[in-house]
Amino acid sequence: MTPLLHLQSVSKQFRGLTAVSEVGFDVNAGEICSVIGPNGAGKTTLFNMISGVLRPNAGTITFGGQDLARVKPSRFAAIGIGRTFQNLALFKHGTVVENILVGRHVHLRSSVLEAAWFFGRTRREEIAARQRVEEIIDFLEIEHIRDAVVGTLSYGQQKRVELGRALACEPKLLLLDEMVSGMNLEETEDIARFILDIRDELGITVLMIEHDMRIVMDISDRVQVLNFGRRIAGGTPAEIRNDPAVLDAYLGRSAGQAQAQPVEQQGAAADA
Amino acid sequence: MRSGDFKETYSGLIVLSDSTWVWIWSALLAAALVCAPFVLNAYALSLLTLVLITLIGALGLNILTGLTGLISLGHVGFLVVGAYAYAIAVTKHGLPPLAGFAASGLVAALASVIVGVPSLRLRGLYLAITTLAFSFIINNVILEAAAVTDGARGISVLRPTILGIDFDSDAAFALLCLAVTVLTLFACLNIRRSRIGRALVAIRDNDTAARTMGVNLVTFKLYAFVTSAFITGIAGALLGIYLSFVSVEGFPFLLSIEALAILIVGGLGSVLGVVLGTVFIILLPEVVQTVLHFAGSGVEALFANGVHELKAMLYGVVIILFLRFEPRGLVGIWHDVKRLWVHWPLRF
Repeated sequence: MTPLLHLQSVSKQFRGLTAVSEVGFDVNAGEICSVIGPNGAGKTTLFNMISGVLRPNAGTITFGGQDLARVKPSRFAAIGIGRTFQNLALFKHGTVVENILVGRHVHLRSSVLEAAWFFGRTRREEIAARQRVEEIIDFLEIEHIRDAVVGTLSYGQQKRVELGRALACEPKLLLLDEMVSGMNLEETEDIARFILDIRDELGITVLMIEHDMRIVMDISDRVQVLNFGRRIAGGTPAEIRNDPAVLDAYLGRSAGQAQAQPVEQQGAAADA
Repeated sequence: MRSGDFKETYSGLIVLSDSTWVWIWSALLAAALVCAPFVLNAYALSLLTLVLITLIGALGLNILTGLTGLISLGHVGFLVVGAYAYAIAVTKHGLPPLAGFAASGLVAALASVIVGVPSLRLRGLYLAITTLAFSFIINNVILEAAAVTDGARGISVLRPTILGIDFDSDAAFALLCLAVTVLTLFACLNIRRSRIGRALVAIRDNDTAARTMGVNLVTFKLYAFVTSAFITGIAGALLGIYLSFVSVEGFPFLLSIEALAILIVGGLGSVLGVVLGTVFIILLPEVVQTVLHFAGSGVEALFANGVHELKAMLYGVVIILFLRFEPRGLVGIWHDVKRLWVHWPLRF
């Protein structure tokens, strides 16, 4: 089976600084895949390249057999790549419904004139879009804040709205950048459940950056580890847990030999 | 008291207003405005016409600056282009007025592409300066291209006759302006609630996120420019007819500032805000003049002599006061009043 997403020796330099260096891995359709690594490892830069915010300096990224270098940045959503941002990139003056409706953008076709007239196609489209948005609101259990202005919501709720906006694109691949950072245990468990539902019920492949080792180890099918822009390991959570290179990256050389503690606790320590 | 929304259809969720009373009051206002030209005296009627024309122009600027967040200091440029397009088409070439209106919108839209394409990567202050430069360049182009525009002499414009209806009288012309205003209002409200409006607001609030959602920034910024200029061009044609004479001096730079003041005073991005802001800004000098009338003849004479300068100062003061005390504008005050009305005597 050809992988949904295929990265081959992808590199990105910012002037002298190498943020990502010759990273390559595959994500298969239907997988939940995590990218982990210490701060500054190049995880978000990698995401930015997969979602079209940045272009790689070298290497190729193939999505569904299509070379992403040939795709315009604004077309990434249309070919099926949706994402959330690490530091929330919501339209904070809009309501929850309006924000998620923006996610429907690529599925709507009205021209400016049709929009000004608002009969016929525009009306049908808008009703259908609104219906889909209500379904997503139901799915994410945010009915009660549907009409709230996003800027007034709590961090956890805003994250959920952003997830909803990405889902409204109906992506094939969903990139989640640190969904649960700053969330408490209960909120984290909710998000973990949503991610599993997104894969199982909606059939969307998930690639996520995550610092919270509990969620990474519990729900990922495979984990990729970056350190200083290089991929140092990849495999199932169980393999990663005991990989000497990974322990090195998180705890320094001596710990790599000791292998005393499981990664969950060490990962949490590295965050702090 | 309304305690919640109970909608049973999805079409009920996308209506312009779900309140019967809003529709009733809007209809009453529209009916009053239709009757007004036959009741008002000549001065009040001329003021009403000016409010309507200004409202169309401000709605045009609102699409670019209010919704998309692209600041234009040169919107008077599109106004003057629209006015000249109409005057040249109708007065000099004898085309029917409807074609003249179409020309005024389309030529202004074309001008917006010319200024828009090079400015697509600019934003904030840089875009403001570029558009400002555009409005001055346009003035010079018009003055130099005397073969087409009659240069500094200007072109006189007659009241139009459209589809056999003569809009020569002041009352009829006011009704024409009212009709165009209502059409523009609905167009703007509809654009705002469609995918186009959401994409423009998304660009304003977070352009990286907007692009990730599939909004083509270049295309949609151009849409904003073109739509905005088209509407402003039509307003320019109406203003030319209102003044019955189109010249570069008839469209001073102050009009750009006036339009921005309307948006800030009304509340950026809100169609209701534009309406409130227009009424406020156009009537403000009149109210001030009336107040000064009681203050004594010397002060009033001063106002009469330096009306242009005093207007500019008034707009400046009002902009500063609103930015300081009510950045949400009149529409913010309106929402507060509505909330108070619903919840009183409770505070929220």
